[in-house]
Amino acid sequence: MIEIEELTYCYPNSIDPSLKNISLTVEKGKFILIMGSTGAGKTTFSLCLNGLIPQLLEGNLTGQVSVAGKNVGKTKVQVLSKVLGLVQQDPETQIIGRTVEEDTAFGPRNFLIPFEEIKQIVNQTLEKVRLKGYNHRLTEELSGGEKQRLAIAGVLVMEPEILVLDEPTSELDPIGRSEIYATLDDLRWKKDLTILLVEHSIEELVHKVDEVVVLNQGEVVWRGVPTELFRNIPLLLQWGIKPLPVSQIGWDFYEKGWISFAEIPLDIPSGEDMIRTLLPKYRHRHTNTNMNTCADTHSQGLALGLAQGHTPGQRKDLISPQKLHLPKKEIVVQVSDLIYQYNSDQPVLRGVNLTIEAGEFVALIGQNGAGKTTLAKHFNGLLKPTRGEVIVGGRNILQCDTSDLSKTIGYVFQNPDHQIFSVTVEKELEFGLKNAGFRGEEIKERVDEVLQYTGLDRYRSVHPYSLGKGERQMIAVASILVLKPKVLIIDEPTTGSDWAGVQTMMALIRKLHAAGTTIIMISHDMDLVAQYAKRVIVIKEGDILLEGTPQDVFSKEQILLDSAIIPPQLCRLSFRLKDILGDVTFIESSEFTAMFEREKRGCL
Amino acid sequence: MLIEYLPGDSLLHRLDVRTKVLGFLVFIILSFLFQDPKFQLLLVLSTGLLAFWIKIPLRKIWGMLLPLIPIILSIILITGFSFAPERFDRVSSQAILFYALPGDRLGATLGGFLMGTTFIFRLFSMMLASTVLTLTTSIDDFTQFFHKMKVPVEVSMMLTTAIRFIPTLDKKRRQILEAQKARGTKFNQKGIIGSIRSYLPIMVPLFINSIMMANSLSMAMLNRGYGLTRTWTSMREISFAPRDYWAMTFVLLLLILGAYLRFGLDLGIL
Repeated sequence: MIEIEELTYCYPNSIDPSLKNISLTVEKGKFILIMGSTGAGKTTFSLCLNGLIPQLLEGNLTGQVSVAGKNVGKTKVQVLSKVLGLVQQDPETQIIGRTVEEDTAFGPRNFLIPFEEIKQIVNQTLEKVRLKGYNHRLTEELSGGEKQRLAIAGVLVMEPEILVLDEPTSELDPIGRSEIYATLDDLRWKKDLTILLVEHSIEELVHKVDEVVVLNQGEVVWRGVPTELFRNIPLLLQWGIKPLPVSQIGWDFYEKGWISFAEIPLDIPSGEDMIRTLLPKYRHRHTNTNMNTCADTHSQGLALGLAQGHTPGQRKDLISPQKLHLPKKEIVVQVSDLIYQYNSDQPVLRGVNLTIEAGEFVALIGQNGAGKTTLAKHFNGLLKPTRGEVIVGGRNILQCDTSDLSKTIGYVFQNPDHQIFSVTVEKELEFGLKNAGFRGEEIKERVDEVLQYTGLDRYRSVHPYSLGKGERQMIAVASILVLKPKVLIIDEPTTGSDWAGVQTMMALIRKLHAAGTTIIMISHDMDLVAQYAKRVIVIKEGDILLEGTPQDVFSKEQILLDSAIIPPQLCRLSFRLKDILGDVTFIESSEFTAMFEREKRGCL
Repeated sequence: MLIEYLPGDSLLHRLDVRTKVLGFLVFIILSFLFQDPKFQLLLVLSTGLLAFWIKIPLRKIWGMLLPLIPIILSIILITGFSFAPERFDRVSSQAILFYALPGDRLGATLGGFLMGTTFIFRLFSMMLASTVLTLTTSIDDFTQFFHKMKVPVEVSMMLTTAIRFIPTLDKKRRQILEAQKARGTKFNQKGIIGSIRSYLPIMVPLFINSIMMANSLSMAMLNRGYGLTRTWTSMREISFAPRDYWAMTFVLLLLILGAYLRFGLDLGIL
């Protein structure tokens, strides 16, 4: 279906090629996953497939690309669109019509397909992307997931043989994401589509895709079946791809020689199997070394042994600072009976009560539209309560202005491009300080300090928009950090970043937290929440549903699923191993390894 | 758009968009035929009746009118003083009511004041008429109208995309505003330079974001076959119903009647 020979492409104003010597053939009906870190050339690659490169974007292209027998360089983009459909990253800019029907019909209308026929295929397509009956809904009122599916519908309605999707789920919550994947899976089986998907997260895709192609700095560095790649953790890390947590456990075990490479699990059931088959083995071995206590241990006993062991101690450490030092800690955010509604609609927040103390690391989680951001915007006075009270740093937000609060409460928004407006990184950082009334030397000192701290020093006099999204996100954080806020609210700090970017960002946040900054993080990435946050608050339909340590919250799997949250993989694994682990929920892969290590040591 | 489509099922809603546009044109012609405020008042009343019929949101109209009151008053004053007696045909209109300055200078003519009132009525009835038109006609109808009038596809395409992106851009604007507020931007700096400067942090990201959006929108449009042909399938064929012919006949009769009153009987001039 797709044949690429020696493709090299260089953007008009850059020196280094973005794609180097790519040769690739894709057969009909395959589901291919394209991975790689930011800047690896994934988006550029997808633009080469439908002819936007070189037809719309100029630059230097050599090599051959042909799709379904058509030479991409010589066939009009519009004609190619009948063969190969490309769904780009941002659904917002791909929706052209005012209503769902009008938008979906856009493609076929350009091909002058008769009205009656259009009506028919529009309805069929909408059904395929699970938007049946949405025909007359206004596109602006759709949710993120619905918009994304509409964007897919707009391309699908042209009945292409190949579908290329560039990170279609980056801004969706877990439910929205699995809906998109389910849609793709459907399409693939029903329509025999060839699918190329660019994606960062792999958890739900492992068993769906046929092949993985890894791009690194514009070159194809790996190609093969997904199981081979995802089991090979060091390889993944080398290319900046996030490994699956269960595979991480498997890899640890493999390194210790406990299991073979092929036994490294790729999903929760196989992870469970692995642990279940390994445990008795170890017990047997201990029996052989005639340790009676161990030999008699049933799984329940094991759980008890665990409960008295290392892990619960850790958990106590996590809980105790809040519980024991309660009176001493300064309260930074105090929310009582907060109700908020836009105009006369349904309230978005319905009586939220919440206290956040200095030095906490809180994560707000919940489905898209649950009210997380609405709640957080009250913390720095961007929104004022309809009823109830919000006290921040001892001041009622009704009486102060957001710009005054900005010195104590920093708020980093999701999209860095909404705030960057200066010509250099340095000037961008100075802006907040000037607003706060700082002058001369003080500004310079602080900017220097933060540039060092965030690793942006080398970009000091670079234009922000010439940098990648990850760096822009960092600039956004840095521009808030110069104000040295006591509380930092971060809304989705890692959306669209690759694994390396995520880790840099989270390392920075952890460093800030260690230095005493109170962190309030809004995130869909449950793995991050489990790993970094000390307290998790689940928001559902404008109220707090659950709160507690990540271990506590994520162990309540059913309640979370009801509010459209999928707990981290390892928590779900622990949940399945309840009979062995007892009530303990593990959130780091090392905890599983440690458990086995202890098992061994305890018995020897 | 200032006033959005108000879904409904009145006769005005059901009339074909071409009929309505014709009616609107005739109305404009009529209102420019007559200078006499009495005739204008009649027009205001009749549009008022139409507005009342489709249950126009009165509050909105008031909201639009209220800030205009000083302008209304000054228009009457200015026309009162600036229209010299020679400009009127009727003797009664040439009458000078009083002089603003000693020595018989800057006289206020009766005709001038009447003319001012006419301007106000005209303004008011036009506003009502265009409101009635936009409230009872959907965007789709307007694009259909362009299509029928052989306006190129690009124009109606531009129109729908623009309307589609108004809420999106407005959302962007709000998000940018919030992001900058959170960094302590103050929007009440003094002076023209100050206020321009304080809006830079909003305008620059807004422009950059719009350009980026336009860029990917153009890609998305090509992706979906835009520009392959110079035209596209029309989604809804509008057609005249008997009521449209009746309405058009009525409208044209009004036009003829108006012309007869004005030119045949010489009525309605000052």
